[in-house]
Amino acid sequence: MSATRDPRFAPRLAGACIDFAPEASCLEIQGLSLAYGDTPALEALSLRVPRHRVTAFIGPSGCGKSTLLRALNRLHDLNEEVVREGRILLDGQDIHAPEVSVAELRRRVGMVFQAPNPFPMSIYDNVAFGLRLQGRVSKRKRDDTVEWALRSAALWHEVKDRLQASAWSLSGGQQQRLVIARTLAVGPEVLLLDEPASALDPISTLKIEELIRNLKSTLTLVLVTHNMQQAARVSDYTAFLQGGELVEYGPTDTLFTNPRLRRTENYITGRMA
Amino acid sequence: MSDASPDTSSRRRLRQARDRLATALITAGGIGVVVAVLAIGVFLALEALPLLWLPSGTETLGLSALAWGTLEAAAWSLVIAVPLSLGAAIHSAMFMSRRLRSRLKPTLELMEALPGVVIGFVAGLVMAPWVERHLGEVFALIVLLPPGLLLAAGLRACLPYRWQRWLPMGYAGLWLVPWLLLVMATALWLSPWLEVWWFGGDLRDWLEQGLGLDVAMRNALVVGVAMGFAVIPSVYALAEEALSGVPSSLAEGAQALGATRWQTLWRVMLPAASPGVLAAVMIGAGRAVGETMIVLMASGNAALMTLNPLDGLQSLAAGIAIELPEADPGGAHYRWLMLAALLLFLFTFLVNTLAELVRTGLRRRYRQLGGNA
Amino acid sequence: MIGVWHAWRGRTPRGEGPWAWLSAGSVALSLLALAALLLLLTVRGLGHFWPADVALVTLADGQQLAGVPVREVALPGDGRERLYRTGNAELEDGVWAWVPVAAITEVEYPRELVRVERRRGDEMVGWLVGMTREDGRWIEGARAWTALQERLHVLQGLRETRDRLRETVILPHVSEREPGDGDTPELTRAYARLQELQAAMEGGRLILRAAGGERLVVPLEALQSARRPNAMSAIDKLADWSDAVWRFLTEGPRAANTRGGVWPAIFGTVLMVILMSVMVMPFGVLAAVYLNEVAHQGRVTRLVRIAVRNLAGVPSIVYGVFGLGVFVYGIGGTLDTWFFEERLPSPTFGTGGLLWASLTLALLTLPVVIVATEEGLARIPDQQREGALALGATRLEMLSRVVLPMATPAMLTGLILAVARAAGEVAPLMLVGVAKLAPQVPVDGHFPFLHLDRKFMHLGYHVYDVALHSGDLQAALPLAYATALLLVLVILVLNLTAIFLRHYLRVRHGMPSPR
Repeated sequence: MSATRDPRFAPRLAGACIDFAPEASCLEIQGLSLAYGDTPALEALSLRVPRHRVTAFIGPSGCGKSTLLRALNRLHDLNEEVVREGRILLDGQDIHAPEVSVAELRRRVGMVFQAPNPFPMSIYDNVAFGLRLQGRVSKRKRDDTVEWALRSAALWHEVKDRLQASAWSLSGGQQQRLVIARTLAVGPEVLLLDEPASALDPISTLKIEELIRNLKSTLTLVLVTHNMQQAARVSDYTAFLQGGELVEYGPTDTLFTNPRLRRTENYITGRMA
Repeated sequence: MSDASPDTSSRRRLRQARDRLATALITAGGIGVVVAVLAIGVFLALEALPLLWLPSGTETLGLSALAWGTLEAAAWSLVIAVPLSLGAAIHSAMFMSRRLRSRLKPTLELMEALPGVVIGFVAGLVMAPWVERHLGEVFALIVLLPPGLLLAAGLRACLPYRWQRWLPMGYAGLWLVPWLLLVMATALWLSPWLEVWWFGGDLRDWLEQGLGLDVAMRNALVVGVAMGFAVIPSVYALAEEALSGVPSSLAEGAQALGATRWQTLWRVMLPAASPGVLAAVMIGAGRAVGETMIVLMASGNAALMTLNPLDGLQSLAAGIAIELPEADPGGAHYRWLMLAALLLFLFTFLVNTLAELVRTGLRRRYRQLGGNA
Repeated sequence: MIGVWHAWRGRTPRGEGPWAWLSAGSVALSLLALAALLLLLTVRGLGHFWPADVALVTLADGQQLAGVPVREVALPGDGRERLYRTGNAELEDGVWAWVPVAAITEVEYPRELVRVERRRGDEMVGWLVGMTREDGRWIEGARAWTALQERLHVLQGLRETRDRLRETVILPHVSEREPGDGDTPELTRAYARLQELQAAMEGGRLILRAAGGERLVVPLEALQSARRPNAMSAIDKLADWSDAVWRFLTEGPRAANTRGGVWPAIFGTVLMVILMSVMVMPFGVLAAVYLNEVAHQGRVTRLVRIAVRNLAGVPSIVYGVFGLGVFVYGIGGTLDTWFFEERLPSPTFGTGGLLWASLTLALLTLPVVIVATEEGLARIPDQQREGALALGATRLEMLSRVVLPMATPAMLTGLILAVARAAGEVAPLMLVGVAKLAPQVPVDGHFPFLHLDRKFMHLGYHVYDVALHSGDLQAALPLAYATALLLVLVILVLNLTAIFLRHYLRVRHGMPSPR
């Protein structure tokens, strides 16, 4: 697993930068390397994700930010070609430990994808999908949870009169918020968002961003985005990845206004995009 | 919100156990089904294997006559089907209006679904007796249809442009149908004169006495026409897919250089799509070789080895259908018939695999071509 | 011709040449052939049931004959010849008569001409002279006609009662009886009743005068129906026609399959197709789910997929051979030695039957179902699967709650295509269980109700049998047309359903694309 490194780039980063431990951490990634067959995607990456904050991963296309996000949800389990080293800790427990059920992990770590992917069912059934998986819940309680989730996702007022309509009848932005509501309904602790607004129009994007800011009071959010303005607008901490490595990680304000490394600055100011 | 999820650890274990069980079941079942389906070849080979120790006698001869009949019937059906289906594919890929094309495809799919026994019935009991009595008319039809079509094109060109618009090329497949009927009627009407003119009165006598050819009522030509009819839809569908899959950039490139549509087709699209067209013909051949009921009902089931298209034949499939129920299981005749089935299986399986590989390769090529454009 | 050619060269600046037109012609020719085939089947198949007028033909030599004109052909040399179906098989020149058209001096359609359909044997044509009733009384003239209709109606009722008795009481008892047992009281009673019915049907005769003047005497119980087509109005004929179609669909065959209906064949075809669907669906879906969702997507899976796809192209007769060797002789023979030893050497499952036929066709249609289901599964975007997993669903839950429901239309399409293919297949059935004539349908009120070991009748095989193995082809041909038309209709309807379903599927699964 060796990739060619450009010697002009800064040498391997100082520990202080990577081990940056701002507050109580929720997710902790330790020396994570990942490869698709013979193609490395992530290299010895370590970082901590603080609790009840929004952390953004930015970087050029193919830098591994989406791969990293999917690793946090063990979505790579589906792909048998993927080789992994290193650990990911959720509240101090290794998510790959044999006693951890992947289904339970995914309930605790929810994920929202780039393109809205509502199931071909009614709006109500979409939100109740996860609840139904987990066994019998009284209809009353299910109704309550669905309403709560839709309210949390700021969608309730738009759909409360047509909960039985097909989820595919919603607009793209509404669909994405429905997917967020669906994820919230199972009660996750962490919410992973993979470019959640990249397929949406500006107004829908603003709504999603506002939603993200509101959700951090109860959740830990990790956001992958290629839109630096968005990262700057919504995140508390930002990690910059490039070529499968973590280049710089710090509070968003600092990273955007006063990056420590040339590579970060170049990327942020658009000199190498 | 964690109180919204009563996912206790016992339930979680249950769900996991159920999941593992289901995965194991799906795996076992899936592999089982696939193995069962693939077992056909193995079974036939095992049943035919003891033939190696049995003395081979007259059966070899019988089998070779059947194999000959199979190939002859398949060859005649391809002679009929290939020009028609490729012509139809070319027309619908290059010239036909999109609307008509979207209607034509399901129609031909329906044609593919017509059961062999019905086609065989019409061929063996309606067409064969008619052809036997009207050889001259059949000949006239074959000879006069192509010029009749060209005459339609020529007449259309003579019309004022205003009228030509009512007969667009895109719908030629439709408005030529009544014209064809007219041509056919003319050909039937002209045929007695043609027969007198070319064959001195009676085509049948001319064939039997002049060329020494036997004319059987149910013959290879009837089988060929009927089976060609059955094979046209599948060859058409695959050839059309190959032709319309050619990246449009290629055709546009050629037309931008001033090529006509036909030149574009001939110089650019057909070479690009040729593997797919070949695969289509191969799959048609596979179907023709294995078709049972048409041959059974339209061929006369005489195991002859002649080149005469007007004589009867018997194919492997028809021989199996007639003789296997009476054969003593385990006996020599039974094993020979098993060998016949094995031959059919191997032939069609290999031909289809080859065609499939060609098509996969072609699709990859199209993607690359499309990507570069 | 040359002028046309020049006009063409001149008018089209750089014409497409002759080939473009020939290719268009091949489309037209294919469509024409298809239309001609369907038209032929429809006209001949449905026309058979139309009560055609009976012509009374007077020839130049003063001879008369009455019959239904069938067709006309050109004679070698000059002139034409017309075929009349004259019926009256007991006369010397009965049933068919070829008449030179030139020799016909007059054709009339007298209203009183009667066509009588017999239960066995050919129909009769002539003038009604009179009839003796079952009690021996002689009736003549117009009253004879009404009396005849009444009596035929009564006879029909008696026959139905008799058939019901035979089917529901006698046959089950006889098949249950051990060899050597005497008749049970119930059976004795049934036999007595049967004889009573038989006796009630006997007696009475119809006397007709043929066109040539001969007198024809026929017992009333041998008759099926009598009509005067020349006196019927179009509406009467239409009613008669729909009645005949209905009877064709609901009655059993008579007279070695050359008369009567095809109900047992419809029943056998449908039952076999249902059994086949029950067997093919679970396994086909299982294999498709395994190949698409569970198996490692490597070289082996790819090869297996190609192999399965190609099995759809393997000739159906090969599947029949496999079914005969493995199911009938292999498994069936073994079952017989284990469970039905007392009946050997006459086989129970060791011969072709409903079970083996539907199993063979299930195997034959497996590739169709697998391919269609796999296509449906492949069309579902991976985001849907990831979405379900991200909510904490296990693989089973993801499959059963999201993936399979979305693939349902594809599975249905596969099933319908499989059914359409199976309904038309005849060759493998000839090896594994179809019968020329199976008087007992495989379902009855007698335990175990569904008799999987019985042979059955099939529409496609019926066409083959009637067309190739009937004694009087001219008489049987219309029936073969009608059966073929029925088979084609069933298959066309199934295929159209599949086409519409696929269209619906494309529309519904064109996921709303986020802009």
